[in-house]
Amino acid sequence: MRSRRATVVAALLALGAALAVVAGAYATPNRAAAPAAQAGSDAAQVKCGKTRTIGLMAPVTGPAASLGKQQVDWAQYYLSTYNKTHKTKIKFQTEDTQLGAPTGTAEALKGAQALAGGPNVLGVVGPAGSNEIVGITKTLKDAGLAWVSGSSTRTSLTTDGTRTGYMFRSVPPDAIQGPTAANYIIKKLKYKRAYIIDDQETYSTGLADVVEQTLKAAGVTVQRDGVSQQQSDFSSLIAKIPRDTQIVYIPWQLPPKGQAFGNQMKAAGKGSIKLMGADGLFDSSFASVGSHVYDTNFPLNPKSKVIAGFKKGHGGDGEYFGAPTYAATQVVATAIDKACSNGTASRAEVRAAIRATKIPAARSLLGLAIRFNRNGDLATAHKFGLYKSNGNVFVPIPG
Amino acid sequence: MNWSLFFDLTVSGLTLGSLYALIALGYSLVYGILKLLNFAHGDVYMIGAFLGWYALHALGGPMNPTFTGAVVLLLMFVVAMLGCGVLGVAIERFAYRPLRNAPRIAPLISALGVSIFLQNSALLIFGASFRDYNTFDLIGVKTYNIGSLFFSVPQLLTVAAAIALMVALTLFVARSRLGKAMRSTSFDREAASMMGIDVDRVISVTFFIGSALAGAAGVMFALVFGQIYHFMGFIAGLKGFTAAVIGGIGSIPGAMIGGLIVGLAESYATGYLPQGSTFQNLYVFALLILVILIRPSGLFGRAAITKV
Amino acid sequence: MEERPDTPRIGVDEWVASVEGKRERYTGWRGAVLERWERLPVAARVLVFALPAAVFPVLSSQGNVFRYGLFTLVYALLALGLNIVVGFAGLLDLGYIAFFGCGAYMYAILASPQFGYHWQAEAAIPVVIIVTALIGLLVGLPSRRLFGDYLAILTLFFGQAFVIFVNNANRISFPFVGHTDLTGGSNGIANIDPFNFFGFKIDTTMKQYYLLLISVALVLVLLAFVNESRTGRAWRALREDPLAAEVMSIPVNRLKLSAFVFGAAVAGFTGAIYGTIATAALPGDYDVGLLITIYAIMILGGFGSIMGIVVGAIIVSSVPELLRSSANARPLFYGAILLAILVKIRPWPRLAAQLAGLTAFGFAVHAIAAAAYPRLVHGESIGSGGFTRFLDHWMLFPKDAVKIADVAYILMIAAIVMYPQLGRLWRAVLLPPLLYLVMFVWENLLLVHIGGATRLILLGAMLVALMNIRPQGLFGTATVEIV
Repeated sequence: MRSRRATVVAALLALGAALAVVAGAYATPNRAAAPAAQAGSDAAQVKCGKTRTIGLMAPVTGPAASLGKQQVDWAQYYLSTYNKTHKTKIKFQTEDTQLGAPTGTAEALKGAQALAGGPNVLGVVGPAGSNEIVGITKTLKDAGLAWVSGSSTRTSLTTDGTRTGYMFRSVPPDAIQGPTAANYIIKKLKYKRAYIIDDQETYSTGLADVVEQTLKAAGVTVQRDGVSQQQSDFSSLIAKIPRDTQIVYIPWQLPPKGQAFGNQMKAAGKGSIKLMGADGLFDSSFASVGSHVYDTNFPLNPKSKVIAGFKKGHGGDGEYFGAPTYAATQVVATAIDKACSNGTASRAEVRAAIRATKIPAARSLLGLAIRFNRNGDLATAHKFGLYKSNGNVFVPIPG
Repeated sequence: MNWSLFFDLTVSGLTLGSLYALIALGYSLVYGILKLLNFAHGDVYMIGAFLGWYALHALGGPMNPTFTGAVVLLLMFVVAMLGCGVLGVAIERFAYRPLRNAPRIAPLISALGVSIFLQNSALLIFGASFRDYNTFDLIGVKTYNIGSLFFSVPQLLTVAAAIALMVALTLFVARSRLGKAMRSTSFDREAASMMGIDVDRVISVTFFIGSALAGAAGVMFALVFGQIYHFMGFIAGLKGFTAAVIGGIGSIPGAMIGGLIVGLAESYATGYLPQGSTFQNLYVFALLILVILIRPSGLFGRAAITKV
Repeated sequence: MEERPDTPRIGVDEWVASVEGKRERYTGWRGAVLERWERLPVAARVLVFALPAAVFPVLSSQGNVFRYGLFTLVYALLALGLNIVVGFAGLLDLGYIAFFGCGAYMYAILASPQFGYHWQAEAAIPVVIIVTALIGLLVGLPSRRLFGDYLAILTLFFGQAFVIFVNNANRISFPFVGHTDLTGGSNGIANIDPFNFFGFKIDTTMKQYYLLLISVALVLVLLAFVNESRTGRAWRALREDPLAAEVMSIPVNRLKLSAFVFGAAVAGFTGAIYGTIATAALPGDYDVGLLITIYAIMILGGFGSIMGIVVGAIIVSSVPELLRSSANARPLFYGAILLAILVKIRPWPRLAAQLAGLTAFGFAVHAIAAAAYPRLVHGESIGSGGFTRFLDHWMLFPKDAVKIADVAYILMIAAIVMYPQLGRLWRAVLLPPLLYLVMFVWENLLLVHIGGATRLILLGAMLVALMNIRPQGLFGTATVEIV
């Protein structure tokens, strides 16, 4: 019994002590310590110096690492050309978000916090996923950091008002891509029987919903199904697709999965059914399935010298998924340069500079000028490009 | 009844099922002897797929292979199985043997560590991109059909190779001296060692066989489904584990039947049940629960006699 | 508890009476420290952790508090809850993370724009805890019949079902209610309100940190009491031998259920806090990966040991964070290698000889390479400072390192696997080359990928190594297994 009473007393003591310390921590002017620690907070001026730091958030590891690689490659490509042609240099503080990893968005949260606390970080490129953005919003916003994402397309991210002035993106949202795809199926292809398969991730379900609604409204018979992004075997799903289906719409994110799906369709003797992907599948590996494959992609200027230069350095592989990340890096770097024109810059200045971005079409690999509207979406992009495979790569459909 | 759908689903279920069965065998063999769930098993399977890829490309790639398709295939299997077997033995030696007398849950964490290690080493060495086997160029994309029964060469090959491997394993365990030693070690390790069986060696052999089977499964997977990447072991490992438990963990025929059941169940669930492919995993797990509620030790498992 | 072990106790089995003596004990200074530690009262032990933890935010930046502090405390709280179910009662619960998710989603439904409810925390938290506890009761019901691995599978099913449910609940029509978007589907629920206790908002990282710290301290103290109580002893009896416990008329079923309920309640509460930290409840956050992390913490720390869990949480959550930057990673890596050599190689003349050998070997290799294959020394090490300059003259940095480093990595793994099989003499001779190889791989490959795969590779290697060194966990007690 004695030990028990001692425990009670000691426990209460411990609790009291803990509370006292808490109170003490609050009584001592917390802010005194804060500025030193929070060097990068909103209005604090940072000396620009010769090398400027940009935060880069991408899925370097985890199941979406193949996408992260493309984004990092493109960002690095911008960095190397910039550093070659400018007196000032940029460097990245790269944070791995492990998009789609079994541990969820926790890594993105910690990465965002590392960027928020990085004294020299002035702006952020990324992150890739829409759910990641929902998670990191508060952290980056509190730290006054603006971020430009090259791949998150959920419409509500910019329109719900929570991120206005902080979030920008170099890809048009689902609300533009979905109707582009659906209208092509309805008006040009004039198909009546469609099958939609999402990949259970937020990017895919959002897009599939938009297309499903638009198609149904036009009287197209639509069947909807979902399959986990983790899966590589689609044979039983394919067996379920009626042979008289005219087109299968698969807005997925991993081009190799699209390729596997296409090949398995062929193996199941359903190779004559048309396939259509979305920007996530815009890659030669999906195009290689055959000439019956369609795709929609964010605006991109195929004649851009930048793309040719990138391909040269990457064994001919365009890695198009990462291309908007190049534009995003361009936006952030340009904005930092502008804010740095007087030798110092603050995160607030960089935010304002990003908002006022004006990159002419000639200098943007998107093929159109980069300007943002009030919400942070591309003001110049009104539709997605439509593509058809020639058996090896996607070529634009004229009109 | 839509027979064509039924046949399609059956073929796909059997293909998948034989892969699961091969993975499940590895789980079951190890569990039978060490009472250990080898969580790293799925990642060994992934390494096997990559070894096969390297073998394929060392032999000239799928477009202009050095030998005829069949020889190349055989060599791919040999390389993957040998490599994975050695890897399995090394894993056992390093991560599990020192923990043999530790609390049962300690090797679980060690296994988890190995799994994380292998997965990210693969990412480091093989890169993040998907690798393509392009086997269609190697053995032909042709789809055969008997009536409305469609199947492709890799599918046929997978089922045949899986059956061959399982028959070989069954014979090995039932007939050979080493197989006998394995069975007795699984029955009672201590007693076996007192009878003069080199238990360490038996365990090493078990790991070699189990991992080699996983390696073969990795190559087969890539042959049928085309692509491989560093994260592929996770889901496959879970499915193999499920199959092993349904069949009765520790039982060799159980693992085979369990694998086929899981493969077929997945396939039929996708084809016939509402929201099938979305809730596929739920349906499979529900089946698992049903089985263990009715037969707690799995379909072929021996009911364990608890010593009091 | 202060009885002297040498006095015979009536009604106590001889084996049980001598159980203390059967525990593995350290000798020397380690033993002395451990003995002192064990004699401290529980609260003092809590204080040893609570005090530095309470001062930590004052000394550190907000970012660090978030990355190290918040996550360590969330993991610790989760592991403490899991410890009730697994560590105390011995029920292998693999669906535990679902309760965590339930808590987050429940709070999100009660306090976010999703349904327009914005409940005060003092009302929402009890509701969250009661609802998750009830779900815990439901999931626990089959545990009356099943045990061991089969209970594990059943709970794993529950965990999977939870994730799939929240991922698709926006498309499901519910009985009586009809179609409602309960969980936001794969988009999750965003913009969760911060805790609002009677108008006092827990909305900054600091406030969240202290809320978590107080919660952990409370749960710790509570667990210390429960551990000593009738229920706690009964739980342990259940864990050691359910059959014997039942024979001794311990109400086994009730105890199993209460363990589930307690564990679920702690997890639900933690989930609500985590919801406010992440400001969103997203389906991917409550999957198997986190479960594995929490199990790793619990087992690493020592099965059933409360202090061990706190230490385990600190290690598992902060090591990968520390490794995020190469500035931290390098000293940690070389420090770990040095420590391993210091512990393993004795007496000191041999140690000195090995270190000298290593240095000489490096210079020799560098000189030969510079003379014969200049390509091999063309690159440069990462970073700056004296150590880097030393490395530039000592270590090989090939110009195009990728291919060579990949091969070296595989060689290194093979070498490490083979090394313990060698004889003593060979081991002594080959140690410097092996170390050199390890450092080569580190500098040319692992350090380059420090933000990505390397962190996780090292985490994996650390788990294996730690379990090898102490299978019973850091703070666990090795017991004699009854066969």
